[in-house]
Amino acid sequence: MSDRETGPAGGAPVVSFEDVSKVYGQVRAVDHLSLELRRGETVAFLGPNGAGKSTSLDMLLALRKPTSGQIRVFGDSPYHAVKSGLIGAMLQSGGLMPEVTVRELVGLMAKAHPRPLPVDDTLRRAGIADLAGRRVDKLSGGQTQRVRFALAIVGESDLIVLDEPTTAMDVESRQRFWDSMRAEVAEGRTVLFASHYLEEADQAADRILVVNKGRLLADGTPAEIKKRAGAKRISFRLDGVDETFLLGLPALVNLEIRRDQVHLQSSDSDRTLYALLDAGCRPRELEVSSLGLEQAFLAITAQDDAVTAVTAPAALRHQHQQEKETVR
Amino acid sequence: MMGTLTLARLEMLRVLRNKRYLIFTAGLPAALYLALGRSHGTSYGVEFRAFYMVAMASMGAFSGALTGNAQRISQERKDGWVRQLRISALPASSYVIAKILASLVTLLPSLVLVLLLGRFYGGVQLPVPSWIIIAVSVWLGSMIFAALAVAIGYRFMPDTVQPMTMLIYLLMSVLGGVWFALGGTMQKIGQVLPTYQIVKIGTHVIGGGGVPGSAVAIIAAWLAAFVILAAVSVRSTVERI
Repeated sequence: MSDRETGPAGGAPVVSFEDVSKVYGQVRAVDHLSLELRRGETVAFLGPNGAGKSTSLDMLLALRKPTSGQIRVFGDSPYHAVKSGLIGAMLQSGGLMPEVTVRELVGLMAKAHPRPLPVDDTLRRAGIADLAGRRVDKLSGGQTQRVRFALAIVGESDLIVLDEPTTAMDVESRQRFWDSMRAEVAEGRTVLFASHYLEEADQAADRILVVNKGRLLADGTPAEIKKRAGAKRISFRLDGVDETFLLGLPALVNLEIRRDQVHLQSSDSDRTLYALLDAGCRPRELEVSSLGLEQAFLAITAQDDAVTAVTAPAALRHQHQQEKETVR
Repeated sequence: MMGTLTLARLEMLRVLRNKRYLIFTAGLPAALYLALGRSHGTSYGVEFRAFYMVAMASMGAFSGALTGNAQRISQERKDGWVRQLRISALPASSYVIAKILASLVTLLPSLVLVLLLGRFYGGVQLPVPSWIIIAVSVWLGSMIFAALAVAIGYRFMPDTVQPMTMLIYLLMSVLGGVWFALGGTMQKIGQVLPTYQIVKIGTHVIGGGGVPGSAVAIIAAWLAAFVILAAVSVRSTVERI
């Protein structure tokens, strides 16, 4: 499925899931998941509510044990990888110690790390140098999130795992966050992040894993994922629209008509368009465009769910928040 | 190890920054001793003022170890701080070790204050070894309650922990004969409690006797039981952190 069988560094993969499942009673949260991460990749983990992203990250960080299958991090067990500082992680559900200052907290984690970086550097890289003397329990949501990020980068960890890292950040902080993230990647680190901001995955990741119901549905670059969803969007105006005729077009995926305005999705835009022209139609204001990652993502998971994917992204986010609540 | 000690140091700082905790653990026993410490009479065969010094020192130590820790541990699990530590490079045992170390250190002000009041306000006169035995038995006895706090904090949510520790605190105080000396049936029941035995070591030593072996045995049994309970609680909640 993936075209990146050969990582630049070769050797053991940074992370490998081999046929990993996690079952809670009747629920199969993660279902025979297999994947590999290579050194230097920035990988986004995408999936709707209940897709098994959080459970997968929890298992990668040794917070939970797989029911079956095996996870290796640099060829070692997740627990050992975490405790030897190979992984720096930031979880949505990770709390912070109250009643201490930001500097004290970051200093603590640096002390615990086998290869610590200077605390001032970490504070600067996480963009919280100005908060060093503030008490942790007196910070805003976005500030807290940046402190969590600082804890993930207190040492020279080779793998950075981030669960919804920019939640509660405003647009500007989000921008700054990804700028600092790119600096980490430039130093040869591997980054795995779960996100529900699809445009963020599109911009920040060079590889996307789409999961649904605990299974891996797609694995590729953002461009490949968009292609995988197959569809292109064709829009035009047409006088005397004949719905029955349009529905008969080849490779049609979806059709919307508003008076003379037609929007359709096609898995092969060339064929659809030629059929339209061959039938003698002369559409005006013709536009052919690729689907965004968001539609592609919805299309992929919808194919899997076998239900129509008209779920608005807002609803997706809302569901996701609820998922977070119950995880706590 | 450095990480664990740093964590313990931060835990101590937190406790000392928390005024309410200091008032409850150090302020309350001292205030009670100031109010009642000059009363006349005898309890368990020693002067009341000497008994009450040991009793108040014990109360401050065990209430501090129990109520504060259980509440914090439960809350920190709920807030995800325990989870955050699990995904850090800190050794898995750091959290509990740091809590118990911090608890032992932060109980010292209360303990020292009450003993000083006993000596200079209550006028209790004792040879140096007796002072040391009293201080050490109360101090180490508090570890029983630190272990119990871990067991409770790991197993229950904060809103359950509050009434639970309050109930245990009351039982241990009243039936343990900490608030007032017991007699008759109450004493027979109370004898099995660690609080009773901690006070008993103190009063025995004040009365010129040695440290009763039975008291040490009972205290050790409670400690072992609560340490096991704490370990079971920590293990059984591994996947629910």
